[in-house]
Amino acid sequence: MSLLDRVPTGNGDLALLAGVCCVLIGGLFALTPLRAQLPSALYVFVEVGILFVIYGLLVLGLDLQYGHTGLVNFGHVAFFAVGAYGTAMLSAQDTFAGIGLGYPWPLALGVGVAAAALVGLAVSATSIRLRGDFLAIVTLAAAEILHSVFVNFEGIFGGNVGILGVPRPIAALAGDADTRLIATLLVIGGITLVSLAGVTRLTSAPYGRVLRAIRADELVTRSVGKSTVTYKTQAFVYGAALAGLAGGLFALYNGAVAPGFFTIQVTVTVWIGMLLGGAANHRAVLAGLAIIMGLRLISRFALDVTPVPSDVFASIRLIVVGLILVTVIRYRPAGIWGDAQELGVDR
Amino acid sequence: MGLLQNIIFGVITGSYIAIAAIGFNLIYGIVNMINFAYGEYLTLGAFIGLFAATALPIPLPVAVLVAMAGGGLVSIVLARAFFTPINQTGPVPLLLTSIGLGIALRNAIRLVAGREARYYDTETTTFRFDAVPDLSVGSVDLLGGFFVTSKQLIVVASAVAVFVAIYGLLTRTDVGIAMRAMGDDESLARVRGIDTQLIRDSVWVLAGILAGLSGVLLAIQTNVSATTGFSQILQILSAAILGGAGSPYGAIVGAYLIGIVLALSTAFLPSGMSGLSSAIAFGILILVLLVKPSGIAGAEVREA
Repeated sequence: MSLLDRVPTGNGDLALLAGVCCVLIGGLFALTPLRAQLPSALYVFVEVGILFVIYGLLVLGLDLQYGHTGLVNFGHVAFFAVGAYGTAMLSAQDTFAGIGLGYPWPLALGVGVAAAALVGLAVSATSIRLRGDFLAIVTLAAAEILHSVFVNFEGIFGGNVGILGVPRPIAALAGDADTRLIATLLVIGGITLVSLAGVTRLTSAPYGRVLRAIRADELVTRSVGKSTVTYKTQAFVYGAALAGLAGGLFALYNGAVAPGFFTIQVTVTVWIGMLLGGAANHRAVLAGLAIIMGLRLISRFALDVTPVPSDVFASIRLIVVGLILVTVIRYRPAGIWGDAQELGVDR
Repeated sequence: MGLLQNIIFGVITGSYIAIAAIGFNLIYGIVNMINFAYGEYLTLGAFIGLFAATALPIPLPVAVLVAMAGGGLVSIVLARAFFTPINQTGPVPLLLTSIGLGIALRNAIRLVAGREARYYDTETTTFRFDAVPDLSVGSVDLLGGFFVTSKQLIVVASAVAVFVAIYGLLTRTDVGIAMRAMGDDESLARVRGIDTQLIRDSVWVLAGILAGLSGVLLAIQTNVSATTGFSQILQILSAAILGGAGSPYGAIVGAYLIGIVLALSTAFLPSGMSGLSSAIAFGILILVLLVKPSGIAGAEVREA
């Protein structure tokens, strides 16, 4: 029996294997004197790629909430921010403003994820029973409240400056800038793939079937004896924890957090990516997110060849993004790779 | 500054929020959607008014009418193009569509009009009332001298005029009565021979007119830029849902509550935390949704 025969064939297991491999190779770059050389033309790809794998964790969490369970969470950035701030405040050393406790980063990351899950639990405990569009409003308002708390409590959260001096474990280990970028991309990308394996396992289990049943018809699901509120709360908390993990990784990659990184724009990007790809299909939502974030690359390259100012290009890109959202909902409500019949949007 | 002055500020803020919140709630009640692009209607109205008042110099009161007409036109065109075709899909796709439309509109406005803020050219008279005695309770001055400007009086007067007009429309005209019937039960309204699409269209026009007026009033108070309306959408939304989703009268109560809370928290929060005032407004919104999800006057929004 050759090694090739042992390669798993299931989607989830394949993602798990690929993820572990990525983390190992990334670790190899970081820990050994092995060096990577990056052509300068590829820098921008790798940078957007790192942001993409971090947002990938966000979209996986959101897909668990909206795609599978039907919870319209429009404040997803809040949990991203809580994870990032939790990690940053516990691990930062010599921050310029706000609190930095200087604990080891693995502990800080754990606390960041737990804090995001707790905030998710608090939000869902109070508002998970609200009708779809009102849940959207409450989560949106919660995110705005949190944003203004981060901006206004300067003594604790550092105001608009945010928390600086967060340790960057991968950057500290890797030798030079190129190796650092490659190792970061591989390690975080690996974590995203492992998470993909995790949520695939979760949603292909009978548990995931209950979640999809709730999305299809909550009353029927309750009538067969499932405690829908418990399931909805769990799905919401899992999604929040994944967003918290994304936030913690973002803080440890970026070395600083500030309110400017956590605007409603993040929520909108992730939502459009999910809807474009096709909700309730983990790989599709990642692909949709890749398309939306690929637009950033296009606008960056177009910037070099055309003589228009960058803010004009940013506006054009956002017009296109908004129109993509409108078009997808109207003409392809299940997304590019989504299953219209299963999502109940078949017309 | 005394409490009285801050409450006056709150009433002024509440006035233009109220005009917009009525329009927002009319759409909510009859089309059954949360229109997140509504802030952009305000911005468009403000720009149309500014264009009318400066580029083709016409007097400001006429420019306001032009802005209202423009707002109504924009609203019905956008609704016909984007919202009416997917009317049957339910509230969440409509909400998401309005978010996408809002992003596109906001950036299109920014592309055309640029980033800088513009100002209406207006003259202001300030009326001061310094003779009012102080009435201190602890560190808070309950009365104290206050002032209002002519602009602020115009805002409040316009709001009152809108309230009377909306009340008249909803109780005395066939269209208004049909709107209320549709808000109650669309199928029953159709059975009684009401052309529901016509009523829906007239609601869009009405909401656009109100957005145009509110946008100009807001712009006269502050300025016009691409984010003028977007910066107000969460307050409008809070006021509308606080008052009771779908109820135009509830929206008025909610708007003044939000306005006064915003003004008071700006005044009494420690300096450096005044930015928290909008957080407090949203906190109230969440609290109301939890305790009485139907708002001060409105329908049930809980599912389970």
